[in-house]
Amino acid sequence: MTLRARLGALVLLSVVVVGCAHYPLNTPLAAGGDPAMGYRFPPMVVARPDPADEIFVCLAFSGGGTRAAAFAYGALQRLRDIDIGRGGSRRSLLDEVDCIAGISGGSFTAAYYGLFGAQTFERFYDRFLVRDIQRELALSTLNPVNLARVASPYFSRIDLAGELYDTTVFEGATYAALAKRRRPFVILHATSMANGAPFEFTQDEFDFLGSDLGSFPVGRATAASSAFPFLLSPVSLRSYPPAAGFVIPPDVARALESREVNPSRYAWARQRLDLMAGKDEKWLHLLDGGLADNIGLRSILRAYDRSGGFIAQRINAGHIKRLIVIAVNARTDPPEQLSRQERSPGLADVFLKTATVSMESLSADTIDYAINRQGEREQAQTTVRLCNQRLAGCGAELFPTFAQEIRTCFVEISFEGMPSPAREELLGLPTTFALPEDTVKRLIEVAGTLLDSSPSFQKLLRALRGEPAPGAGVGERGNCS
Amino acid sequence: MEYLIVRFPEAREVQVDGVPHGRTNIVLQFEAGIHDVTLGPPWNFAPLAQRVLLLNTAALDPYRVEFRILPPAAIPISPGSPP
Repeated sequence: MTLRARLGALVLLSVVVVGCAHYPLNTPLAAGGDPAMGYRFPPMVVARPDPADEIFVCLAFSGGGTRAAAFAYGALQRLRDIDIGRGGSRRSLLDEVDCIAGISGGSFTAAYYGLFGAQTFERFYDRFLVRDIQRELALSTLNPVNLARVASPYFSRIDLAGELYDTTVFEGATYAALAKRRRPFVILHATSMANGAPFEFTQDEFDFLGSDLGSFPVGRATAASSAFPFLLSPVSLRSYPPAAGFVIPPDVARALESREVNPSRYAWARQRLDLMAGKDEKWLHLLDGGLADNIGLRSILRAYDRSGGFIAQRINAGHIKRLIVIAVNARTDPPEQLSRQERSPGLADVFLKTATVSMESLSADTIDYAINRQGEREQAQTTVRLCNQRLAGCGAELFPTFAQEIRTCFVEISFEGMPSPAREELLGLPTTFALPEDTVKRLIEVAGTLLDSSPSFQKLLRALRGEPAPGAGVGERGNCS
Repeated sequence: MEYLIVRFPEAREVQVDGVPHGRTNIVLQFEAGIHDVTLGPPWNFAPLAQRVLLLNTAALDPYRVEFRILPPAAIPISPGSPP
């Protein structure tokens, strides 16, 4: 073959590849499918409490690239090593975990543990934590075939990232595989580029897209969760017409009727409806989950607040006796340079800052909200109990009670909890998908150290083991007793 | 949080916004706003469902919703059907 013919063949091949390159489309829901199926928290039966609900543990893994993934992995490892069994039977605190919310870097650890359970501790370190994902992605992009593919307007680097995660980290697993493992229920988060609304990779959310999450690759969901603005383009999903028989869930429908009474519930319902396709075609473009909530707590709070929420249902049914939320927050606070210069920041700085500056601004408010919500419940229970004790003393009719007095506990670990100079060193770590191995090892170790030094967490362990509490310590949050 | 109690002569499953939420005659907690309340089977109660607005309640003063037991002759075969 002559050089000209070879070049012609190459150009032809490139045109074909570019023409064919399209990101993988999410699939529509089959007509007549069972609305109860799919990746949802297992349904609750009031009359048949599930023993797994008694100690209800949710973990929230923040964003922050490999730093967050390693920090979350360290927390999982420490929870695995903690024995809360009584009477000689061993049971780790990790065995009690019912749900994990993951954002961006934290979504990799959440999804991997959700899929592979205990094998995570044999494989995730090599499969993800110590790999130079950024370099691999760059090399993958430079592959001539992929260069041609990313030239297509329907295929970009985020789609290559999704393929990389799918094949080299998650072994091609889809949500159907995740659904086979009942607990923990993993909620991966992304952010809608259109309106900044949080998006959860659950079938409840996919119902509004008329789409089946079961066939969706977990690797692509983590790509969406970590599609950092400017570095990566969004992951796109198609919104199909609603599946036959789909009705707007009653909690969404009622929320739309009480905007003035509960604006946040209304906004949540409005955002769900915005996912739905109308007469025209519609696509949802998803960016990094950290843009809407970089700590990952909000989906857990929605499960607690919303009448359709799996935590709210179990609390009202009296199935939950202890509600534990552990936030693993890999937030950093690197030295700020912009405020050290006299000249106004350039457009590149402004673009990057406007896309990312909001990522941490809501985290403290979210943590406050979580603590206050739990405190509110404890306060209400105490009020009813104390009033009834008084009334019982004089033979009066007692106030009705809750189905179950629950004990609540909120624990947050973050680098702020480390002593100097480790604190400053950790707070200065970059957000990247390539960290030196010694840094990864240090992050894993630090997560365990922070749990071991958390007064709230130690108080919780004493309570779970039935050990006497030495009294409230300084800085303890939540009840945890 | 807002508080609701569903009064009924028997212990019965309570459903709020289409999902099960505990039982009658105990205090339940919900977000502020409008909610649909009904009971689980058998369908020997009336009314079939009630729409409530939960606002400014307290654990000691929950919003009260009452359902009554229907006499056997008035029990529908399925919700909403004639007896």
